[in-house]
Amino acid sequence: MNITTIKSIKDIPQEENLSPGTPTCAGCGGLLSLRHCLKVLGEKIVVVNAAGCFTLLAVYPFTPFKSSWLYTAMACAPAGAQGIRDALDILIRKGRLDSKENLKVVVLTGDGVAYDIGLASTSGALYRNLDFYYICSDNEAYGNTGFQSSGATPFASKTGTTPIGRISPTGLELSKKNLFEIWRSHTPPYLATISPAHPVDLINKFKKAEQYKGPKLFINLSPCPAGWVTDPSHSAKFARLAVDTGIWALKEAIYGEVKHTVVPKSFKPVEEYLKGQGRFAHLFKPVRQEETLKRIQEMVDQYWDNVCSRESRKR
Amino acid sequence: MLRLRFHGRGGQGAKIASRILGTAAFFEGYYAQDFPLYGAERRGAPISAFTRISKEPILERGIIAEPDSVFVLDETLLDDPHAHPLSGLKEHGIVFVNTARSAVELKDTYKISVQVITLDITKISLKMLGKPILSALAGGIAARIVNLGEDSLKKSIEKELSEIITEKEFLLKNKEASQYCFHAIKPIEIKIAKGIHKANPVITVPFETALISSPTIYTTGNTPLRKTGNWRVFKPVWNYDICTKCMVCVVRCPDACISVNEDGYPYTDYDNCKGCMICVEECPVKAIEGMREAHAW
Repeated sequence: MNITTIKSIKDIPQEENLSPGTPTCAGCGGLLSLRHCLKVLGEKIVVVNAAGCFTLLAVYPFTPFKSSWLYTAMACAPAGAQGIRDALDILIRKGRLDSKENLKVVVLTGDGVAYDIGLASTSGALYRNLDFYYICSDNEAYGNTGFQSSGATPFASKTGTTPIGRISPTGLELSKKNLFEIWRSHTPPYLATISPAHPVDLINKFKKAEQYKGPKLFINLSPCPAGWVTDPSHSAKFARLAVDTGIWALKEAIYGEVKHTVVPKSFKPVEEYLKGQGRFAHLFKPVRQEETLKRIQEMVDQYWDNVCSRESRKR
Repeated sequence: MLRLRFHGRGGQGAKIASRILGTAAFFEGYYAQDFPLYGAERRGAPISAFTRISKEPILERGIIAEPDSVFVLDETLLDDPHAHPLSGLKEHGIVFVNTARSAVELKDTYKISVQVITLDITKISLKMLGKPILSALAGGIAARIVNLGEDSLKKSIEKELSEIITEKEFLLKNKEASQYCFHAIKPIEIKIAKGIHKANPVITVPFETALISSPTIYTTGNTPLRKTGNWRVFKPVWNYDICTKCMVCVVRCPDACISVNEDGYPYTDYDNCKGCMICVEECPVKAIEGMREAHAW
């Protein structure tokens, strides 16, 4: 199959499949990515939405989608997707639905669902090789209920459940789960990380994923002005910094084979990303926590050292 | 008992303002109760917060449907069908509105019959704090309107804000701004109406099958009807003399509000633009400017 990739933001399709007027916060990074995702996915989809920030998208009697929308509990969005997929397949097989009327099934979740509560049902769907798209909007905490820490919350982040105090001056002492690797171990046909700051890369990944039958997964790092305590206007800036500092690696895995799609020529220090975000403010004020900052930088460096040696070995 | 209601937008500080007022009243020796109400919607969506102040223990619970005074932290809420800030207001009630317009003008526009007090506290907070965060300022105004002392206000702000503001300097600025607002309003007296408690008959809701009880939307893409345009404090304005039609603003708008006209120049849908200002921040040639929003429509 011939996939035409786009080269610049001028090639991004003009039509919108997500209407304005949604009640998500101003400057929502998740919404920014979703808008681009839906441009490629088109109108003929069914959105299966697990509880989370995106619950707000379709609040009765309003919907921003041009497609159908099914709302599920936190743990069972992939199960809902399986039901829809099976129903569509059976109707087409029995001739009660024209195959032209076929719809893509898209699961939409937040990181609380993808990393914690819904991990089991996602694993099940991957195991059964369910033909669906899965978009995880990862804002690194349970954003909709007041920013409590989740399995996606990074080391040293301040959240509702990991406040800064004398006993815990660093914030969260656990590290972010590596969901990419958890999913990759199931060897799905297509798996990628995306960022709202790189829409061209995002759109090309969705175009590429279209050719595969089976689970197609996407993790999007979504800047969250309310939880990250940043100005809404800086959402794109922090998404870009996450990629430029190497904290958020843009990569894809086709049947388990990893390839990095955007590698910064020179990495910025992680400090530039951490600084200016309220959830990391305690690392700089009132005293600079050198140890913690060093540890975060080391974690990032270690990851990229691994990648470089692995990818150079391949060549 | 004094029943007060605050109306604001998520992130503006209506909830903290109600807490500041409640705590200040507590320091003066009153019984006080304060709590917010908001659904799943957050930043920018209409929210309300409530404060009850009394000399006797407060046995009443729940939202305040008939307030003695209403504090509106965003003028655009006055005609927002979701917010209804003036509903249930008592005859001798007082309405405070955060707006640049005069009280007379406001009474005329929105057909308000009760006493209206106005002050542009967003302007004050932008000047004194550098951010449109109104909690301390609205708290100061509320404390003045209900005739609380300056000292209890100071103490209350110290207590409520030191939990959320770690920067000493910013806390001090908040205190100063609050004092400024406290003195910008003339002291007035709220006439407290007698008890409003009515016994409500208990009703039972019958069980319905999912077909009837669960809402279904049969239309598509109708959210533009919600008009989220009045969420913003600043609006983006394009200068087409500098604009290079690079499309960055179009691509970066989370709400899909920015479109391109026949000549290739971008423009925004002001009815739904929430004013996140990502377009202003991202424009490579600085052709977009953030202008203070006077009124959404």
